[in-house]
Amino acid sequence: MFPKPIEKQSQAAQVAYKSLLPVALAFWLAPLLAVALFSVKPDADFTSGNYWGLPSSFEGATNYGQVFFNSDMPRYLLNSFMITIPTVIGAVALSSMTGFALGIYKFRANLWIFFMFVAGNFVPFQILMVPVRDLTLELGLYNTKTGLVLFHVAFQTGFCTLFMRNFIRALPFELIEAARVEGVSEWRIFWYVVLPLMKPALAALSVLIFTFIWNDYFWAVVLTQGIESQPVTAGITSFNAQFRAAYHLMSAGSIVAALPPVAMFFLMQRHFIAGLTLGAVK
Amino acid sequence: MLSKMKTTAAAAAVASAFAVPASAELTGDLTIFLDTSNPAPRATMEAMIARFGEKHPDLNIETTVIDREAYKTQIRNFLTANAPDVATWYAANRMRPYVEAGLFEDVSDLYAEPAIAEGLASTKGALTIDGKQWGVAYTYYQWGVYYRKDIFDELGLSEPTNWEEEKANCGKIVASGRACYTIGTKYLWTAGGWFDYLNMRTNGFDFHMDLAAGKVSWEDERVKQTFMNWKELIDMGGFIADHQTYSWQEALPFMVNGEAASYLMGNFAVAPLREAGLTDDQLDFYQFPVINPDVELSEDAPTDTFHIPANAKNKEAAREFLRFATSPEEQTIINNGKNLGQLPVNAASSVDDDKFLQQGFKMLSTNSTGGVAQFWDRDAPAEMAKVSMEGFQEFMVKPDQLDKILAKLERARGRIYK
Repeated sequence: MFPKPIEKQSQAAQVAYKSLLPVALAFWLAPLLAVALFSVKPDADFTSGNYWGLPSSFEGATNYGQVFFNSDMPRYLLNSFMITIPTVIGAVALSSMTGFALGIYKFRANLWIFFMFVAGNFVPFQILMVPVRDLTLELGLYNTKTGLVLFHVAFQTGFCTLFMRNFIRALPFELIEAARVEGVSEWRIFWYVVLPLMKPALAALSVLIFTFIWNDYFWAVVLTQGIESQPVTAGITSFNAQFRAAYHLMSAGSIVAALPPVAMFFLMQRHFIAGLTLGAVK
Repeated sequence: MLSKMKTTAAAAAVASAFAVPASAELTGDLTIFLDTSNPAPRATMEAMIARFGEKHPDLNIETTVIDREAYKTQIRNFLTANAPDVATWYAANRMRPYVEAGLFEDVSDLYAEPAIAEGLASTKGALTIDGKQWGVAYTYYQWGVYYRKDIFDELGLSEPTNWEEEKANCGKIVASGRACYTIGTKYLWTAGGWFDYLNMRTNGFDFHMDLAAGKVSWEDERVKQTFMNWKELIDMGGFIADHQTYSWQEALPFMVNGEAASYLMGNFAVAPLREAGLTDDQLDFYQFPVINPDVELSEDAPTDTFHIPANAKNKEAAREFLRFATSPEEQTIINNGKNLGQLPVNAASSVDDDKFLQQGFKMLSTNSTGGVAQFWDRDAPAEMAKVSMEGFQEFMVKPDQLDKILAKLERARGRIYK
């Protein structure tokens, strides 16, 4: 089932593996490296076809200065935070409650409700594009951060509920029964018994949802259209002028836009990996 | 009362004589919607509106700047629901739907004023539909062939003025291991520019406009002749290889690195070429050469415009603003190198001291007698423009498929213009 560990392979296979791995890695990272390289190049390098060579002059400070002080990027970054953070809080809060209800209480429609949450994950979101846009228009939420947050919360809750319900299921049920015997109310059981035990799941889920929402481009383009509401993924295109695309600034902007989720990943690496494997092994 | 009328009349007389905006006191609100959302044009427009405001202190001016792309979808909405008094847009066919829907105000009266009639003659045609004018231009820019003068000098070539010289030049450039023209057709429109010029030079401006309006068959012999001229350049290897994979910007390096000698493009190509290190001694400009000596020369010069929506509330102030924006002084300021860096529309204004703007202004005001086209994707309806530009690109890659491509365009013509 599992691949044989590399140390147990033949000598030739080990050498081939070790020499090909850096090559594959370089290929795989090439687009990212190109973006990083472009972000410190002057615009003229693009016009003269110097795509992969060294920058003709080092313009990192200028480009990043432009991005931070002479463009709308800070505003777009702020929008991204104002969309992502409420979404994370909303989706995690809702799903820990639904997860608790579906994981602890035994009632007849339990499994069916759970399936509905799960089934939501299988709806390709592209087919929702037109109805959701019309809905937000009618609710007066088109081109607002609130509209985007509400939609993301609704759409992410399906996956989060699946995650939380399975986690809560794995908790020892005796803890809850013991609390009930003591006469603790259900609400307090959730708050004082279950929630503290869910901390690793909460952390893992928050990191996952943060990166999902931060990197969302599709809904940002569909539901918002201006600087007052668009997140940074959509705002990057504001570096396209009427005639020319400022590739050097767009690269610098992309690097800046990618920093928060990358920072989040490295700071919370343990939780992130836990989040991906949680429930995979019993 | 009588004396006041006299002063107004006197002011009007002065205004028409010197093209100084009449200082009749304007009051109320003036709402202006702009699509000049990029930082430099935006600052230019806001400064101009501020100068207008100083002249009319009692007028309460409200300016809204909308993202250039978003504006294109929002205009349908705001012209009917929530019309401003002045709105930016584009000339010719791009304004036709709004003119036909009765959403733009007829401003022929402005063109009847002598100062405007003389000053704005070059763009009047682009703003005329059914014999009436529906707005004023505030800026435009020329198209033409930008070429590497140092390469031309090295090969002993001079600027071609007719098709024979053009082909002879190209032959020598190809023989020296370079391409005559760089082009990136990935986003199609660049091929539209080539078609504009070849067709206008082969069949003339009026025929070109008839074709854009769907009045001529794509399988007409005259259209075929245009493509045959194009094919001559393609067959001799005049264009860079694999151009369908480049954007217009990605095609610039060929010119900068000397792998191609020239570029048929709008004046906006000059700025990046200069930034990449080409000096004005290396870079020069010539008008697209004559192909058929029997047709008058006409040029592509995309024009940005101001209009008064039919539902505007303060049309008097809006007209005054249009007069102000097209006056020689304002035209000189907003189109100079520090601002828009394009061509002023008023013949009485002065052009920025820039080699290319000077040549473009001279070309458009004296040597474009056939007419001024707006560019293929503005002159033809959007759907036809898309289909046909796909056809142009395909033709540039597979010139032998011409008959098939033209048959396809002819079918599209039957479907699109009803």
